[in-house]
Amino acid sequence: MSIVLVGLNHKTAPVAVRERLAFTDEACAEGLRALVDGEIVNEGLIVSTCNRVEVLAATNQRLLEGKERIEEFLSRSRCLPQEDFSSHLYSHTDDAAVRHVFRVAASLDSMVIGEPQVLGQVRRAYSLAVEAGTAGRVLNRLVHQAFHVAKRVRRETGIAASAVSISYTAVELGRKVFGDLKDRTVLVIGAGEMAELSVKHLVNAGVSRVLVTNRTESTAQQLASQFGGQAVDFARLSSFLAEADIVICSTGANEYLITPAIAREALEMRRNRPAFFIDISVPRNIDPEVGRIPNLFIFDIDDLESVIASNIREREREAERAELIIESEVMQFQQSLRTLDIGPTLGALRGKLQEIARSEMSRQRQRLGALTPEQERAIEALLLATVNKISHPIIYRLKSSYDAGDSEDAQAWRDIFGLEEEGD
Amino acid sequence: MKPLLLTVLAAYVVAAIHSILAFANKRRTLERITLGSLAFGFVLHTVSLVTDWTQEGRYPLFGLRETLSFLAWTLVATYGLVIYRYRTQALGSFTLPLVAILTFIASVTRDASTAATRSVTDVNAAWLFPVHTTLLIFAYAAFFVVFISSIMYLLQERELKLKTFSAIFHRLPSLTTINNIATTAVGAGWTLLTLGILTGMIWSQARDNRLWHNDPKEIFAALTWLLYLLLVLYRASAGWRGRRAAWMGVAGFALVLCTFFGARLLGGYHVFG
Repeated sequence: MSIVLVGLNHKTAPVAVRERLAFTDEACAEGLRALVDGEIVNEGLIVSTCNRVEVLAATNQRLLEGKERIEEFLSRSRCLPQEDFSSHLYSHTDDAAVRHVFRVAASLDSMVIGEPQVLGQVRRAYSLAVEAGTAGRVLNRLVHQAFHVAKRVRRETGIAASAVSISYTAVELGRKVFGDLKDRTVLVIGAGEMAELSVKHLVNAGVSRVLVTNRTESTAQQLASQFGGQAVDFARLSSFLAEADIVICSTGANEYLITPAIAREALEMRRNRPAFFIDISVPRNIDPEVGRIPNLFIFDIDDLESVIASNIREREREAERAELIIESEVMQFQQSLRTLDIGPTLGALRGKLQEIARSEMSRQRQRLGALTPEQERAIEALLLATVNKISHPIIYRLKSSYDAGDSEDAQAWRDIFGLEEEGD
Repeated sequence: MKPLLLTVLAAYVVAAIHSILAFANKRRTLERITLGSLAFGFVLHTVSLVTDWTQEGRYPLFGLRETLSFLAWTLVATYGLVIYRYRTQALGSFTLPLVAILTFIASVTRDASTAATRSVTDVNAAWLFPVHTTLLIFAYAAFFVVFISSIMYLLQERELKLKTFSAIFHRLPSLTTINNIATTAVGAGWTLLTLGILTGMIWSQARDNRLWHNDPKEIFAALTWLLYLLLVLYRASAGWRGRRAAWMGVAGFALVLCTFFGARLLGGYHVFG
């Protein structure tokens, strides 16, 4: 049993190619049934997102044929000549395929390292395969292990720890100042899209009170109603400033709306409690001199960008640690896959021997005459124990040769006893 | 007793190392190991102190060895309270190495004669003496927490102002949390210090009919008391005080160190560390 993965992603293919290969859920279910023929491809799964289209398959040892088969399948089911996309494809087999699946699930192969959506997308792909009946022993185990690896990477490294978007960075910095954002008040000046997104994240993070102000009152009201907030008078900006723990400024104004004098006054009214100002407007609306006031923290758009850049570097550092985890998991998986494969043979061998014992017993039963139930059970136990004792060294030998990478031994024993593996 | 204290030391060293690793790598599993070995060490340490107490027949807070060991125990207890109350283990990377060092010194030093013991146990109101010392040791531990959280505050505040974040930034709790820890600890520390000084005075009155001996330790203690009183008032006066209060928390601890060690070098009425 081998694992083959063929696909393309945002690194190898432009969107013009990706969009033509992408599968909808329905196309995916249909495609899976066409892909899995039980001859070369035994199991299949299709991951199709905006950044990648990948076909994962379990095949019968014949890797090259499996790979060709998948390429053909992609071309046929997407009605696209192979030469249009084959130069963008990558293919991995066995260890490399397992590693790739783990890396994708753990979000190491994503455009933004550590983004959480991809795991959900893999989960969706898997449930489609389960529904289509194309996820079997190997893929079941592989995908579940991939979920486990993704969780482990998330838990043990910081690849998803720091924010990489303006709005999340605002939330994260707010947390750095205030800790829990519950019972905090945010004041939004202006109504830009970025401001809206930041407020949304802040509200999700627990901010309880949202004040919105804008030169045009109706715009302020609109945004405020979106978050159950309150639109306040733009002319009285400075008095509301004192109430706000977090201020998000994003207007088209050409002058400083918040000067050091205004800020100082607001801070005094706050009894020096810290305040956190975010200025995402260009040109800036908060005088940078405001940053000199103690207990007041101000970040403009460049500051946020540089925080993001350093967070991305941090994620990349953490990704290196994640790769080590993946390596060890790949090794463990390969090991478990081998016993997965030998398992049925061992079971069949044991079953066959026990069956022989039972049939001999039933043949000779009459000669033994009347027996109590206890005696009958004892004889059966005796027979099974004898059979198990005899088969034990064989099974032991089979396992160890299998672990050493030799599967011929297993085949030999299958031949000797005429065993048929279930599912083969 | 020695093997017991050595086991305690081993547990604290494990806790300290894992706490630093957890701080550097931000790993939850390491934090669990830290907490586990710390709890283990603390229980054994408590047993060790109690056996000391019952076997020696006196409160285990007299000689240098005992004092250091007791101080380490107090720091762990205080740190436990901080974890319980504020759910942050960031203080550990600063506290636990000190705890390990104190325990190490305690396990290699030997207290000189116990002759001096009698001078405090064979007098009126002898029971007050351990109360006096215990209160003060806990006050020192609280001031240590103030010191550590003040330093953390200054580091964090500086990075937020400069907007350049080092690796340490992501590991520190929020400014508000650190500030709350410091404010609570200052209040608790100052109260303990006041009670500790008062019990000392009452005890001294009962023994020598003197409230005040004017020895260096007492003078330093009085200065410390004044400074922390200022800090308590300053923090309480106009809400948030941030940076300046943090600097005072650092400076105050220098004075605490003078009281604890400096006065010992200068000699005087107070015999122990």
